[in-house]
Amino acid sequence: MNLLLWTLTVPLVTAGVGGLGGSRPFKELTMVGGLALTFGLCLATAGQFLSGHMPAAFGDALRVDGLSALVLVLCGFVGLLSAAYGVGYLRRNERRGIVTPRMRREFYGLIPAYVFAMLFVAASNNLGVMWIAVELTTLASVFLITFHDRDTSLEAAWKFLMLGSLGLGFALLGTVLLFAAAQGHLGEGLGALNWTTLMEAAPNMHPFTVRLGVVFALIGYGTKAGLAPMHTWKPDAYREAPSPAVVLMAVGMLNGALYCILRIHLISKAALGPDFSSGLLLSLGLLSVLIAVPFILIQWNLKRLLAYSSIEHVGIMAVGVGLGVEAGAFGALLHMTYHSLAKPVALFSAGTLAQLHGSSDLDRIGGGTLGRAPVASALLVLSAVIITGSPPFGLFFSEMTILRAGFSGSHVIVTSIFLAALIALFCGFAYQIGRIVTGPPAAPSGTVVEPERMDIALAVACIAAVLAVSSAFYLPAPLLALIHAATQVVWGTP
Amino acid sequence: MTSNILILCATGMLVSAYLMVGQKALLTTIRLYGAQSLLLGIVATTIALAEGRHELLVTAALTVTLKAALIPWFLLRTVDRIGIHREIEPALNVPASLLVCLGLTVVGYRVSTGFLEGARGVGHHLIGVALSLLLIGLFLMVTRKKAITQILALLTVENAVFLVAIGVTEGMPLIVELGISFDVILAVLVLGILVQRIVGRFESMDISRLSKLKG
Repeated sequence: MNLLLWTLTVPLVTAGVGGLGGSRPFKELTMVGGLALTFGLCLATAGQFLSGHMPAAFGDALRVDGLSALVLVLCGFVGLLSAAYGVGYLRRNERRGIVTPRMRREFYGLIPAYVFAMLFVAASNNLGVMWIAVELTTLASVFLITFHDRDTSLEAAWKFLMLGSLGLGFALLGTVLLFAAAQGHLGEGLGALNWTTLMEAAPNMHPFTVRLGVVFALIGYGTKAGLAPMHTWKPDAYREAPSPAVVLMAVGMLNGALYCILRIHLISKAALGPDFSSGLLLSLGLLSVLIAVPFILIQWNLKRLLAYSSIEHVGIMAVGVGLGVEAGAFGALLHMTYHSLAKPVALFSAGTLAQLHGSSDLDRIGGGTLGRAPVASALLVLSAVIITGSPPFGLFFSEMTILRAGFSGSHVIVTSIFLAALIALFCGFAYQIGRIVTGPPAAPSGTVVEPERMDIALAVACIAAVLAVSSAFYLPAPLLALIHAATQVVWGTP
Repeated sequence: MTSNILILCATGMLVSAYLMVGQKALLTTIRLYGAQSLLLGIVATTIALAEGRHELLVTAALTVTLKAALIPWFLLRTVDRIGIHREIEPALNVPASLLVCLGLTVVGYRVSTGFLEGARGVGHHLIGVALSLLLIGLFLMVTRKKAITQILALLTVENAVFLVAIGVTEGMPLIVELGISFDVILAVLVLGILVQRIVGRFESMDISRLSKLKG
């Protein structure tokens, strides 16, 4: 069997085995081992791409080009991180005695299933298959949101599923319309919906139908990516889902949805010229960055705070692509890479604080966590420094690349607003994190705080932090080659 | 003859959507959705036979078995099990809702004229009806409060997308269509489970009560 198919089969089998019975150590071993193997296979697939063979299957319905390879590697990476952290996460809850057999089954089954669906998105070269894969990610994550079975988690899951399904309905309509726009130029069978086929047919597409299709598809996949104004499910889902699942949403799903957006954007660019979808992406991206500002300032929950940060970051990537210059596209993909490295640290440390305090609400966590949970608090501060784009870390470089691309192009006013929003977000984030970390060390009354100890989850958070920091100074050459290859795909030079 | 059947069925789908807007009994709304899906199946069959596109027959068979029979049956069973039968007063009252939907239909038809096939004949009606259905589905989703009605609104949007697919394309690749149907079934199952959990928790499926999460 082909390497690419193995990459998809392994997490699927892991999900099947994890969802069934078995003792706890066996399940833990299966999940971490399975997803470690998956990450290895992702790397091998990307390696195959870099060595000049394009991995493909099912008549090119699955095909790995530069963009796919980059997203595949990043998703495989967070899949492994999330599995390793997840083992520690569930053990903490086991110790507190709040884990039911249902939770164990769902956790060990759905996390690998979610990873499978994401990798499936990243490997798809067929708009129909891509849609099916995105729908699978939605379905795999619903029961992770209801994991804790609270009133609010049902609310979050309902909103997530309704908004997500509606978005996917739009994306399906967009796909159908793009398909309709190219009637007569596509041929027969599954290959007719292949992205590569559509790209070849793009210059002959009927412009009105393409325009309508692109709008629907961008709104649809934009909902999954959490671009404003379709972002409202995100804060709720982040608060309710367990942190290992949130990492998959914040990095894997975000990258996957952005992957879909980029594919649609490229079809639009080939059919209508560069301006139409770039303009849409630029406005949605800018709106996302702007909308995050007030909500970060008034935020009452730590994980929701990180959700708004993730809305900001997907906005930054959309702006980078929407600027319509090659440097912007490169900046966006660099940003995607660095964000995938940095976000897990933030979520793992925030998740640890939330678990120790029994809640992620800020009034329950209070201030002065540095005295109560020094390691997690230090990691939270470090990750906040990184994800707000401070020098010398990676996201600073990618944001600077995008800003420079913006100021040197024709979008100076937009870029100025964008820059102002980034500065405001930096201040807002610094204020919120400072409020949590500093202050008198006593916990708020009514909160029982568990002592911090160096367990698996915290160790994984530390490893993630080391990777995030060191990536600023040393990005492995193959990874950089992947980012360049992905930029070539997004920029459209063969 | 063929075009008459197509226009009749498409109009029937639109009428069923209007009846859904004017309806408060949940069981009737579910049956209306079933009827709408049956009409969609007839549209697909008619086109398949008239134009010799035999793979569309599979679409038709899927539509009828899944959306006209299985999904309505599942939803009816869910409603029976939770014992809530009526929609509460929607955010906008029925006469006003119907007027809004009339406006949405005009918009749908107006947009449909931009299509290559849309400017004339049967295609015009299919796309016009599909876009109107889409907008009415969205409208239902915004104004209704019961979880089941929201699911039906979502499914109406989905029917609209399929009508576009049948009306303006030469048929999506079969494997993709099978995958989509599978996903839709799975989504309805998940939604059904979620509704039962919500009812078990809140003793109501009034979605407007789910409003704790803000900011």
